[in-house]
Amino acid sequence: MEAGALSNPVLRARRNRIDRIGDPLLRGLSGLAAALAVAVIVGIVYEVAHLAWPAITHFGIGFITTNDWNPVTERYGAAPFIYGTLVTSAIALLFAAPLAIAISIFLTELAPDRVRRPVATLVDMLAAIPSVILGLWGILVLGPFMHETVEPALKSAFGFLPIFSGDPSAFGYLTAAMILTIMITPIITSVTREVFETVPGELKEGSYALGATRWEMVRQVVLPYSRAGIVGATILGLGRAIGEAIAVAQVIGGATGINISLFHTGSTMAAQIAAQFQGAPGALQKPSLAYLGLLLLAFAVIVNLVARLIVQRGTLKDTDVTPTEVGAL
Amino acid sequence: MTKRLLSVGMALALAVGVAACGSSSSDSSGGSSGSPLVGAGSTLVAPLMSKWQSDYASKSEETVTYGAIGSGGGIDQITSRTVDFGASDAPLTPEQFEEANGVEQIPWALSGTVPAYNVSGAPKNLKLSGEVLADIYLGKVTQWDDPAIAELNPGANLPSTKITPIYRSDGSGDTYAFTNYLSTISPEFKSKVGTSTTVKFPTGVGAEKNDGVAAAIGQTDGSIGYVGLAYALSNELSMPLVENSAGEFPEPGVESVEAAADAVSKVGPNNEISLADLPASAKGAYPISTYTYVIVPLESEKAEALKKFITYAISPAAQEFGPDLDFAPLPKQVVAAGKTAIAKIGG
Repeated sequence: MEAGALSNPVLRARRNRIDRIGDPLLRGLSGLAAALAVAVIVGIVYEVAHLAWPAITHFGIGFITTNDWNPVTERYGAAPFIYGTLVTSAIALLFAAPLAIAISIFLTELAPDRVRRPVATLVDMLAAIPSVILGLWGILVLGPFMHETVEPALKSAFGFLPIFSGDPSAFGYLTAAMILTIMITPIITSVTREVFETVPGELKEGSYALGATRWEMVRQVVLPYSRAGIVGATILGLGRAIGEAIAVAQVIGGATGINISLFHTGSTMAAQIAAQFQGAPGALQKPSLAYLGLLLLAFAVIVNLVARLIVQRGTLKDTDVTPTEVGAL
Repeated sequence: MTKRLLSVGMALALAVGVAACGSSSSDSSGGSSGSPLVGAGSTLVAPLMSKWQSDYASKSEETVTYGAIGSGGGIDQITSRTVDFGASDAPLTPEQFEEANGVEQIPWALSGTVPAYNVSGAPKNLKLSGEVLADIYLGKVTQWDDPAIAELNPGANLPSTKITPIYRSDGSGDTYAFTNYLSTISPEFKSKVGTSTTVKFPTGVGAEKNDGVAAAIGQTDGSIGYVGLAYALSNELSMPLVENSAGEFPEPGVESVEAAADAVSKVGPNNEISLADLPASAKGAYPISTYTYVIVPLESEKAEALKKFITYAISPAAQEFGPDLDFAPLPKQVVAAGKTAIAKIGG
């Protein structure tokens, strides 16, 4: 049919026209779409930098280390928020990563099919809870629980450590970190689960054939094979934790200083921007918040790049390494 | 086939583009009478505003659209002229005035900011003074059985619970009114903290919006915070009585706010009126009363419609809706100042 159609000179001319226009058009349109994505990123960075410029010129690089945020005296610094971001994200990762790995092992290796599907769906749904709802739950349920049960217990057991000193409080770094843990666990879980599912069945069976128990198989085959994926997933979770604003702003207590005690109130970069950007009165307050946004952007980019590097290098190396590792078993 | 699809797509895109251009151009050419007034800002004034909107629409057949996005947002929006008027609980700072470039600020509603507390074992209507409130927020009075509190509440059984001061972590007109009051009362508070819509409190817990503060108070034994008067009354929060300059402890409410407004006849530059520094003669006056303002551009296409609406808003017909919503009616001298300001709009 095609050949018959092309033998007709009119149709062939039309075909030629389509060929001439079609390809360049496709290239043009898809190129435009790609350029748009780049333009949006460049536009955002430019806008934020432009807005931040008065603060950048006024405070300079010292902004990063200044431990103050005072709209009345117009002295601003990012240190309390960088500290808050690092502390809450680190604690969240500390809890979320092992939890997510355990859930993934359960779902891929241990759970019967009947259980696997609903549990996996529920874990994924945890990621769908709007952060403002989670924050509300944090104020009403988790905060009081931390205040009355968890923090007093930590204090009585490890009170000699400065991070567990001071008065328990419903609002603070630790409560925020727990909320973040709940937020990032499903993200890390869904990626690690996918990764675990890619472990070749032959390797697992080989391990069993050599007499490994299920735990030995997981430890010696699944985990080493998936190392890069796990690290990548964890850093993906870290990215989310660093950027989360609303839920953190609701439970962290909005204090603008560095406090060693995890029970104390603080703030993070994202939470501070979310809380104060609207109608910030000080002449330098908005630029300083934009400066904070620029730093947050830099954080996110660095985390993303690191994740990319690890995943790339890891997958290449691990596919080479794993068979020998399994052979050495 | 592909070609046809593509051409259809392009035609569609073109049509959408043309339609968009068409609507935007008709928007800008639309005169003052047809399109509704658009305002944004203060959440405090929103309940009163919604009453005004329906009443004004039925009387004048003109509609007003209002977005309760917060005072700060209102100032931002009117500065960039994306709305016809802004509303803010805190008066504009000199920098904000300069940036907003040719606006008039007119007080159009009157309310208050009230402390609220949650201390199990403490009496209802605990009495506090401005000095004690300032010291609590400075972190100097740290327990509910502090001698300073006991002295104001003779015979009361006060628990030794630790005091947790709660404040707004986002920019807020309530923070402005509260810190303005504390700075007036306490020189130490003024020098260490100061007055603004966001300040750096040396101690305490920050929460977002009125609801966040109310939730934090509800969840923390020994806490004290501050919220808008209407919010506190409608949510039946337990409020301490704050001593006024006459040495009384008036109940927070429309009457006591009105008494405070009546005591201050001086209207400051840019129609700014602070009710924090009341004379000792102000009997029954609530000490943390505050005006909330509308901010209008001096020049705009809708100047006539704006003048008409704001004249309505400060008129007795509109102000009489106030008391039901916990707003006090504007006193005469403020209405007079408002009328003078309205006359300046539109040249």
